[in-house]
Amino acid sequence: MTRLDVWLERATRRLAGNSAAKVRAEIQGHYESARDAAIRDGESADEADRRAVNALGEAAAANCEHRKVLLTSAEARMLREGKWEARAICSRRWLKLALLAIPVAMLLAAAALFASGARALAGMLLSGGIGLALCLATPLLPLYTPTRSRVVRVVRQVVVTGTILMVFGGEALKWSWLLISCLWPMFWIEWKRSSIRRKLPVADWPKHLYLCFVGGICG
Amino acid sequence: MNFKGTLPTLILEALAHAPTHGYRIAKQIKERSQGVLDFKEGTLYPALHKLENEGLVESYEGVESGRPRRYYRITRAGRVALGRDRAEWRQLSRAVTTILGEA
Repeated sequence: MTRLDVWLERATRRLAGNSAAKVRAEIQGHYESARDAAIRDGESADEADRRAVNALGEAAAANCEHRKVLLTSAEARMLREGKWEARAICSRRWLKLALLAIPVAMLLAAAALFASGARALAGMLLSGGIGLALCLATPLLPLYTPTRSRVVRVVRQVVVTGTILMVFGGEALKWSWLLISCLWPMFWIEWKRSSIRRKLPVADWPKHLYLCFVGGICG
Repeated sequence: MNFKGTLPTLILEALAHAPTHGYRIAKQIKERSQGVLDFKEGTLYPALHKLENEGLVESYEGVESGRPRRYYRITRAGRVALGRDRAEWRQLSRAVTTILGEA
C-alpha cells in the first residue's frame, strides 16, 4: 500500500460508496498535481510523494470533516430503506386507501362517541385521528419544495406533541419514561434525515426525504 | 496561521475569477497570501463540498493534462454570499485594527 492509499483508507472510513469514490478521485488528482510540482522543484520521487501526502494533513481530521458534508454508509442505507418503503406502499393502491381509511374511521368514531356523551374517549380518538390523518394524508399533498415540507414537518411535530399532552394531560411527566422510550426512534430517524437533507442538494432529494415518518413517503 | 471559518470565503474569492479545481484553489490561496495562510489541503475538499451542498458553487467533470479533474465554479448565490462576506470582513478587520491600534 502506498502512503496515499493509507491516507485515503483513513480519510474515507465510514463514508458511503459514492461519497468515498468522489473523495478518492479528487484527492488522487490533487496528490498527482502536488507530486508533479514537487518533482519539478527538484525533489526525488519518494520525497515528492511524502511531501504531497503530508500537505494533505491528518487523514482522521479530513475524515471527520467529510462525514459532516458527505453521506455516510449508515445514511446511504437509510435512504435505500426509505426508497424500499416508498415502493412497498406507493405501488399498492389498496394499501394507500387502507392507510387513509384508518384516520377517517377514527374521526367518525370520535364524532359518534361525542354524540353519545363519551367526551373523554371522543377527545382522545379525535386527537389521534387528526395526528394520523396528518401523517397518512401527506402523500396527497403537493410537497415538492423544502419550505412546504418544513411547514408540514413542523405542523406534524406540534400535533404529535399536542396529542401527547391531550392524552396524558398532567401525567405526561410521570409517563415520560414510556413516551421517551416509544418516541425516540421517531426523533432519531428525523434527526438522521435532517442530516441527509443538509448533505444532499435539493435537486437530488428522493421524494420520501421531503417528509419524515411513515405516511409521507409517497409525497 | 489559523484561519478556520474564513476558508469558504477564500474559496469563493478564488473561484470568483475563473472555474478551477481543488489543487489550484489551494495553491492560489497560499500564493496570494504569500504563504501566511497555510492550511492542510485535505480539509479543502470538505469545505468545497459544503459550499456545493449550499448551492454556492457547482462542480463539473473536466480534464487537465489528460487526467480527469473535478472543476468548481461559483454560482450567482455564491457571488452574493461573497459580496456579503467581503463587507463583513472589512467591518471586522476595521474594528480589530482600531482596537489593536489603540493598544
